[in-house]
Amino acid sequence: MSEALGRVVATERKPNTPHEFHFWTAIDSPVGIGTIVRVDGAQPVDGHIPHVYGIVVEGFSYTDLQSPMHDVMGHDGSPTAAGFAATERAEIRLYTAAVLRQIPEEPLQPVPMGQVYLADEADVQVALRMDSYLREGANTGIPIGVYRAGGTDAVIYLDADFLLGPEAAHLNITGVSGLATKTSAVEWLLASLFKHFPDEKGSIAAVCFNVKGPDLCYLDQPGKIEESDAALYEKLGVEPKPFESVEYYAPYTAKGHALNTFRNNEALLDNVTPLTWGLREVLQFAEVLLNKDDVDAKADALIDFITMNVIDKEFPSDGIVSKNHRVQSFADLDAWFRDVLQGMEKKDGESWRTHHVATIRKVRNRLSNISTRCAGLVTDSGTVSDLPFGSFADRTVYVIDVANLEEDAQDLIFARIVSKLREHLERRDLGVKHLVVFVDELNKYAPGDGADTYVRKMLLDIAERGRYLGLVLFGAQQFRSQVHRRVVGNSGTGLFGRMDPDELSTPGYAVLSPATRTKLATLEKGQLMIRHPHFTQPIFVRFPRPSVMQGREGSERYPQASDVSLDAAILRALRPLDSTITLSWVQDLVALYTEEELIRARNATLLARPENVKAYFVSQFRKVIPAQAAPRPMAGSIKSAPENDPYGF
Amino acid sequence: MLVSNSGPDAAMRTAFRLLMKRLPGISPVESGTSPEPFISSDPPLLRSVQNVEGSSFRVVKIPEFARSAVSGFGAFLDGTQQMRFVGHHLGVPIVFGTVAAGVRVRVNRRLITWGDQPPRVQRRIYLPLRYLPPLSEIRDESPEMAAANWEIVDTSTADKNGEYPSQHPAVLQERARRAVDEDRDRLEDFLAEAWCVRAEAPIYIDGGISRSERVASSSCAVGVIKSHRTLYFDGDAMGKVLGLRRGERTSVFSVSSRSRNSVMSWYLRIRDERGHEPMWGLVRIEIAECDRPTDRADEISRWVLAETTPLALPDGRWDKMAYGVRDCEEFLRAIS
Repeated sequence: MSEALGRVVATERKPNTPHEFHFWTAIDSPVGIGTIVRVDGAQPVDGHIPHVYGIVVEGFSYTDLQSPMHDVMGHDGSPTAAGFAATERAEIRLYTAAVLRQIPEEPLQPVPMGQVYLADEADVQVALRMDSYLREGANTGIPIGVYRAGGTDAVIYLDADFLLGPEAAHLNITGVSGLATKTSAVEWLLASLFKHFPDEKGSIAAVCFNVKGPDLCYLDQPGKIEESDAALYEKLGVEPKPFESVEYYAPYTAKGHALNTFRNNEALLDNVTPLTWGLREVLQFAEVLLNKDDVDAKADALIDFITMNVIDKEFPSDGIVSKNHRVQSFADLDAWFRDVLQGMEKKDGESWRTHHVATIRKVRNRLSNISTRCAGLVTDSGTVSDLPFGSFADRTVYVIDVANLEEDAQDLIFARIVSKLREHLERRDLGVKHLVVFVDELNKYAPGDGADTYVRKMLLDIAERGRYLGLVLFGAQQFRSQVHRRVVGNSGTGLFGRMDPDELSTPGYAVLSPATRTKLATLEKGQLMIRHPHFTQPIFVRFPRPSVMQGREGSERYPQASDVSLDAAILRALRPLDSTITLSWVQDLVALYTEEELIRARNATLLARPENVKAYFVSQFRKVIPAQAAPRPMAGSIKSAPENDPYGF
Repeated sequence: MLVSNSGPDAAMRTAFRLLMKRLPGISPVESGTSPEPFISSDPPLLRSVQNVEGSSFRVVKIPEFARSAVSGFGAFLDGTQQMRFVGHHLGVPIVFGTVAAGVRVRVNRRLITWGDQPPRVQRRIYLPLRYLPPLSEIRDESPEMAAANWEIVDTSTADKNGEYPSQHPAVLQERARRAVDEDRDRLEDFLAEAWCVRAEAPIYIDGGISRSERVASSSCAVGVIKSHRTLYFDGDAMGKVLGLRRGERTSVFSVSSRSRNSVMSWYLRIRDERGHEPMWGLVRIEIAECDRPTDRADEISRWVLAETTPLALPDGRWDKMAYGVRDCEEFLRAIS
């Protein structure tokens, strides 16, 4: 048994309770805020010596000095003279610990007087109730970090059943920006999850929305790992290597030439897939983009009519509509609207099929506007390039880069992808059984106040019902207090990096002791405070630097390509499919066809990924017969005119 | 030395219950009541002494005394006593006493308990058996009773002149007080002698060193006396002693009596007395006799002056008390 490092004390003014106790230690003991200790009671209860596990939440130090004035007097008001004192005053280190667990658990009594020991690895497992889910044959532990104190290095595990469901689910991470804590922690946790998620629980994948910066853009590239991190990886049982399977998705820029992502360097394009949607995909989520105040019940009715009767249907001509329509793209839809409105003008009619002309004009305006507002994502042509719904692969990270998009486009992407994920998980045909969705900036997407947006409703829905489907939200934000209470409240697990003092002063952190709050405000990189359903008190851990390339390094090594010319864009898009394609080959085609045709052909080729890329690409164009010089007519012999024939006959 | 009349603890209550069984008819006294204050009633005395440093009694400014002076003391020794008048039997006082003594060693500027001889705590019942009925024997060998079976000290024995004390309660209480004093002195002397055998470093003893021959003759024992019921000067010397300034001492004189061992002594002012009563910050130091009293007195005076920080506040005797002595008392208070 290790040596005792403290003794429990209690006074009438400061008594111990079943949930809190006090102990003193030697001046040089390795105890600090967050240290886990074990108390061995002196008297048996029901025949058992009680063992109490606690975590230090507050510390006090004082001497026998009654008034600071006495110290001033004692040293004649000279601080330097204090160093000459022959004796240092008697000093106490008094700590307050919150009880993590008592054994036996019943009867629950105030913490007894007894010796205090530093918890070893086995004690930590018991104290945090990890012993219940680290059993041989039923191990659902996911390493999250290492608890360190006084020479004890103990791996802290989260319970997969409480992280991914069905018991509880979701994870929320808070921390100030700029310290790379939030993203790093999620990257590390995903690596740990992919490694340690029990096989018998099924497959797992992650969808990460990259909403800012390039941090998530190099998950498949190796990062720098220091020795200390390597040791942590070894202790935590995870190999320090980048993710083996990562797929990137990003829409095009508004011009449509290049992908609108930090990861558009030619060297990294092999696993970057364009994200483009057509009319049908967007119209399902028109609510996301349309202003509720603008689109009333009448407009809603018209949109429903269009969705049900126009999109992808043969729409025959009638008294108003002059010709048959088959609407498959925004361009087709605009043509249909134009036909309807022209027909009404000709007939001088105010309504068509109960829809007033003003409503039709308004809906046309709003819907047509979408392709402009979400240019690069929404195609006029209707070409769809999407996530592989239905064939998601186990242990794969799908990153959707929306960092450079307008807010509307971000909302649309988020709403549609999450809805599709949910639909597939409900039908159990997504391809994986469990899916983690990582969303940063929850302050913005699920704020505690402000308008009730479609995205916020979706996040609330995931938070409240996702765990039954296997859809788990890993949310991050700088200010937890500003996120909707039901989103953070439904997060079974909470991670806290270094916090802003202002944020810590909000009521949500009142349950933490002042010392714990102060520690949170000064946490180093790589340190986290963890709240988990099995832990009755938050625990501080260290986690290793993610073994993937960090955003800053990635953007330096693989600079983002600037917007390129059309021929260069096509070359860059097609060359990963066929390395024999040359710029001159592309330029020949660019000379023949319009930009719209070329982009459509490129998108179709990327979507189809054919064997013969060149042939497929060329087949997308209308037949163009190259202009040929007309043969010069055979020159006939010129009859010589009679000299006396003025008309030439 | 700390004298306390604090309330009874659990052990004392158990011992009192046991005593009531052995001596029926005891009337308990309410907590905190005491018919007579337990303070010393020794009359103030002036005693003339023999000068051993120079030919006349004089004032010496301590040479080379500076704020950064280093103390040579390696340990501190003090004792405490707690007395409680817990009841009476037809007016005959029943006194419980607890005495303790301990040595605190200085290691890296912090004080810890001396490991060679642990602190001593002694609990006794002080009874004038001559004026009480015989105590009955109790056959109870339970651990609780064994622990409560405190040793009984007869305070009604005849003095060296063969005279017994009168039955006056105040006289009997005074007898009890003296008995407690003697017990504390014995514990202190025991530890002081043990320290002097090892002689690891000079020890700062709270009080005189002349009771024990071994201590009185040890070069590592330094007694520092704070109380001045007996003043070792008279006549012109009084003005010199009471007029000492901080950092000044008197010349060394010899203190000897028939009942005690001869030691060398001098007065030292360790704090500026201006604005205070004349004895403020005045201590008397005792050391074993030596060949070069001047050098020794200067050296030890520097050590004692160096012990004036940190202050022993909030103890009321802080003007004369070294912090190490206060630490001893606090330690003994905690364990006794």
